[in-house]
Amino acid sequence: MTRVALDGHGAERGAEAIIAGARAAAADGISLRVFGDPSALGPIRDVEGAELVAAADEITNDEEPVAAVRSRPEASVVMAARDVAEGRSEALASAGPTGATMTAALFALRRMHGVRRPALALQLIVPGREAPPSLLLDVGANTEARAVDLVQFAYLGAAFSEAVLGVERPRVALVSVGVEEKKGSPGVVEAHARLAAAPGIDFRGNIEGRDVLRGAADVIVTDGFTGNVVLKTVEGTAKAVADAVRAAARSGPRATLGGALLRPSLAALRRRLDPDTTGGAILLGLRGVAVVGHGSSGPAGIANAVRLAARAASERAVDRTAELVGRSGMTRGAMRDRRSPVIEA
Amino acid sequence: MSANGFDRTEVLGKVRDHLSTELEVPIGEISESTRFRDDLDADSLDLYELVMELEDTYGISVSEEEAAGIETVGQAVDFVAERLGAST
Repeated sequence: MTRVALDGHGAERGAEAIIAGARAAAADGISLRVFGDPSALGPIRDVEGAELVAAADEITNDEEPVAAVRSRPEASVVMAARDVAEGRSEALASAGPTGATMTAALFALRRMHGVRRPALALQLIVPGREAPPSLLLDVGANTEARAVDLVQFAYLGAAFSEAVLGVERPRVALVSVGVEEKKGSPGVVEAHARLAAAPGIDFRGNIEGRDVLRGAADVIVTDGFTGNVVLKTVEGTAKAVADAVRAAARSGPRATLGGALLRPSLAALRRRLDPDTTGGAILLGLRGVAVVGHGSSGPAGIANAVRLAARAASERAVDRTAELVGRSGMTRGAMRDRRSPVIEA
Repeated sequence: MSANGFDRTEVLGKVRDHLSTELEVPIGEISESTRFRDDLDADSLDLYELVMELEDTYGISVSEEEAAGIETVGQAVDFVAERLGAST
């Protein structure tokens, strides 16, 4: 049975969401150690398979993550990450502040050998497509990335997509401003050249922003700044379109009737696209599993974050990623020694 | 060697081993004058990991400001040795 260390602090929807989410995940047979305030999380003690570990201290969104994590060993997310590092749990999940969760995971679990920068990866549900979600990375761990980082992100994403999402030989693409290999920033052009010659992955070239939600690739690679902008643009566009559809459906008697007929289908689509469905992002490139849930997660989001963490652990995602990176010769030392391709602006 | 059993050579060896393993740089290329950023292409994350390794190994504490001021391998060794009261 996989055991997940769950941060019991930080969820915007409070202890009730943590308790209900933990209960739902435990019902699936996942063992949990929940780190938080016993006075708020008391009902966890009644959940079969869940254990409550007292951790009253909480790192908030207002704090500088590195200083807070280094100076507060009794904070819930730090304790939960340490629980994984010391082998009492197999994976970490937190819906607390993203910076604190990433920092705690990074410091406790450490980077995978040969990986220069970990990346935050998020599953993107492709509307109208039943296939597994596309994986977008990096969505915010690194605002800047070198070409070698983008190459490593491609391997991290491909290994995760295959191991956890069940995609056979995932198609990998690079986000750029054109599909041609010479389009993009110097770093993207260099990454394209390196990936085109890279062994062990199925690199399909560049895609543009408009292709991100079209299922053009199973793994979509970009730097954390661009990835975060893409993600927020997708979320904002989806909300704006949904609001417009809602307004159109109320614009007259005929539209209202049509809207009523469409409501069940639209509700199903909305549930599928709900961020709670995927459970959050996973920090790839560490020596352990760490899932960063949405701060606004409800019970379903918390449960799915725990399920994602448990699945990544049980499918040996970390070991399989390390094997792929090592086998392909894509460690930072090996890439440092390799000559960069010529870049033409 | 200091009264608590550590000496400067041991600390230097520890730092070189860590950097060689984590940054995948041949250990022979790491000397006391080696600069983390310019010579080893190490970034702040690499330095934090080194600092935490030294904190765990030697039971010392390094502040953010102190960590930011360490630029070479020799400075890292000096810092640890000083904290341990080791002979130089």
